[in-house]
Amino acid sequence: MKKLMTALLALAFLGFVSAQTLVMGVSGYPSSLDSVDSQDGNSLVVSAQITERLVDFVPGGTDLIPSLATEWSANEDATVWNFKLREGVTFHDGTPFNAEAVKFNVDRWNDPNNEYSGRDEGKTFVPWGWVFGGPLGEGNLIQEVTVVNDYEVQFTLTQPAPFLPALWAAVYFQFDSPTAVKEAGVAYGTPSVGSVGTGPFKFVEWIEGERLVLERNDDYWGGPAKVEQLVFRGITEPTARLAELQAGTIDIAVLLSVDDLATVENDPNLKVAIPETELNVGYIAMHQGTEPLDNLLVRQAIAHAIDRDSIIDAFYGGLGVTAGGFIPSTMFGQPDAWPYDYDPERARELLAEAGYPDGFSTEFWYMPVSRPYYPAPQPIAETIASYLAEVGIEVELMTEDWTTYLADYQTGKFPMYMLGWNADYADPDNFLLTFFGPTAPNDLGWTDQETQDLLQQARQVADPDVRAGLYTQIGNNVAAAVPSIPFAHNRTLNAMRSNIDGWVPSPLGYSSVSLHDVTKTE
Amino acid sequence: MNAYVLRRLLGLVPVLIGVTLLIFFLTRVIPGDPATAMLGQRAAPNLVQRLRTDLGLDRPLFLNLNAARETGDVTKVFDSQYFSYMAGLLSFDLGRSIYTLIPITESLAHRFPATFELTIAAMLIAVIVGIPAGVLAATRRGTVSDTAIMLLALSGVSFPVFWLAIILIYLFAVVLGWLPPSGRLSVGMNLEPITGMYVLDALLRGQFRVAADAARHLVMPAVALGTIPLAIVVRMTRSAMLDVLGQDYVRTARSKGLQERRVVRVHALRNALLPVITVIGLSFGSLLSGALLTETVFSWPGIGRWVYDAIAARDYPVIQGGVLFVAVMFAVVNLLVDLTYAFIDPRIQYS
Repeated sequence: MKKLMTALLALAFLGFVSAQTLVMGVSGYPSSLDSVDSQDGNSLVVSAQITERLVDFVPGGTDLIPSLATEWSANEDATVWNFKLREGVTFHDGTPFNAEAVKFNVDRWNDPNNEYSGRDEGKTFVPWGWVFGGPLGEGNLIQEVTVVNDYEVQFTLTQPAPFLPALWAAVYFQFDSPTAVKEAGVAYGTPSVGSVGTGPFKFVEWIEGERLVLERNDDYWGGPAKVEQLVFRGITEPTARLAELQAGTIDIAVLLSVDDLATVENDPNLKVAIPETELNVGYIAMHQGTEPLDNLLVRQAIAHAIDRDSIIDAFYGGLGVTAGGFIPSTMFGQPDAWPYDYDPERARELLAEAGYPDGFSTEFWYMPVSRPYYPAPQPIAETIASYLAEVGIEVELMTEDWTTYLADYQTGKFPMYMLGWNADYADPDNFLLTFFGPTAPNDLGWTDQETQDLLQQARQVADPDVRAGLYTQIGNNVAAAVPSIPFAHNRTLNAMRSNIDGWVPSPLGYSSVSLHDVTKTE
Repeated sequence: MNAYVLRRLLGLVPVLIGVTLLIFFLTRVIPGDPATAMLGQRAAPNLVQRLRTDLGLDRPLFLNLNAARETGDVTKVFDSQYFSYMAGLLSFDLGRSIYTLIPITESLAHRFPATFELTIAAMLIAVIVGIPAGVLAATRRGTVSDTAIMLLALSGVSFPVFWLAIILIYLFAVVLGWLPPSGRLSVGMNLEPITGMYVLDALLRGQFRVAADAARHLVMPAVALGTIPLAIVVRMTRSAMLDVLGQDYVRTARSKGLQERRVVRVHALRNALLPVITVIGLSFGSLLSGALLTETVFSWPGIGRWVYDAIAARDYPVIQGGVLFVAVMFAVVNLLVDLTYAFIDPRIQYS
């Protein structure tokens, strides 16, 4: 009897972290589960388990696969698109998923005067503007959504967009239950309400700053998930996330510090998960509104002066790749080789030729926060400064509060500065238009009409080979004019307990990994 | 006494109005607004304009003279960001966070008890350890124990909390496995909150296993946070005791033949406590405004990190609500400290 009691007690204590509960250690809690009203990985990693997109990426890659839409087609100039929807799917609250539901969601995001947009109460749908230009009448790409029949919807665009399916695959555009949105109003997506979708997990509870719990949706159209319950815990510090993982209180830890790679690799209870590539780039911009950065020879000299390989070896823990251009090396439309090898001798010659044989001095601004593409901005900036000093360029290192930094780099206040980018969708457009499109005159003081025209043209051509050729040409223009120097592509370090399987790191970041197939064994 | 308290509370009103004006002004003079913070690197002009409209940031800050002039309606002059905020404040509506759209009062109701629980635990450590240690150091002045205690106190104020916290986690959670690394409750532990202070709530509900779990989560953050007030309390107790022990009445007490223990505890300590209570009150007040580093390392959902993140993101309603709340707390604690004086020292009377 006593033995039985002991065994029961032991079971009771062991039982409270059951094999069927998967605990994810992320760096913070969502800002909102209303996915188009959020923009950070910590929001999207949760909402993407509850609500789904029309189009998804293949696990671990960037090829498009059907999700809530099963097939799609466009007219000849890619201005009218038809999407067929998956049949027999219902939201967790029983509302049917159909063309009406799609129209409801898209109208809510796209029409600022829509009854359910909630914009007058503070909803902003920021990512909608980023990816689809803006709401109706304010730079919008989508002009109209038409219900063709229950399971087919038509998008009419303001201009050709051959890569529209890739836009719908961006992780933000998850579809919510119209019933739930109408009922909750502005509180939709907050801790007291959560969200209602079609995905493999259902919202249970969210205690602000403490935990967020989801449970398996047994009626999921793709079959039930492997684990019964998901718990998300926001653990701010990477060191603390690793400690939690080592202590076994979480199962998966994302975004660990590269300094801890060896620790993870040497721990028999842990295994690492690093994507093969990741869609980001860090760069060094040179604003041509400041002398002598308006001089091409000077910019070329700077590009030759910096030994990117050595810096990346030193600061990226073996996970970084020297950038050959502004788009990740796995993407179509690669430029020909980046023509500026590390060559201080050549840099000095170019400076002399430009009329600065003794160099010059300027300001170099570095980011006050670390991002995957610049894991340690300050030490990296110091190293860059020492390389520049070797050819006679004295830079004063400067920084400021991050929000101020984001406002200031567009004003020409920074002669040279560090910045970078994490992609929303896997297309060169998302990189090159962002850096060298309409904002380039502000961001870089670079006004090159040919590149601008090519960027617009590449957005509107349907033939993939022609598009690739255009992006190669744009990349080569950029390499010739060096408005900015591509620095590195980096990969993030994630780790999990060794009894976890099925978590496939994605090139689009941890928020794009579905937890549907993740298993946990005792 | 009651009249005194009432007067002090009324005196708070102009102070708090001043605080709202100051925060409003300060948050708006720092460069960058929520629009730039939210749009990040893709702040196209059309998107900035749309966002400022959605967030109500396109209205004037204090006085809307244009609206008054255009409509001819004088009251429209108050259709500004500040006066809308103050109107909400009168009905205890602090607005919603720009990012999360969570009502500020909802966040405060959840985060303040967490901060309060941690503060109490940290101050308990500081007081229970600090006062006896200070007394010991004073009575053994110049001995090895005095030097040892004062050295520890010195390291307490000079130790970076962040570093201490990481060391604690590594040692007690990873290597020894005695304590959970961070958070407030283990996964699988459920508790229906009453006050929001989990150890207390679990005890009230009779869930002893949950209470123990919550207490285990509280230990490391409380120790890390408690080191600073602990060091201050030790030093203050020691110097106040030394001061008192040298006074005539203590000599008299000793010459009466009283036991040294009684002299120290009854005659000296009681009189030495006044300045100690002042520093305890000040420390308590400042800990209540949140403990950024401790909260960050231990993922403790308190006020400090919340307001800090809001400042970085220019989340105006959170900054305004959070700072205002902290100001009220600070004033209340100060009042309580003043009232405590009267209990400790009968010569102090408020009328």
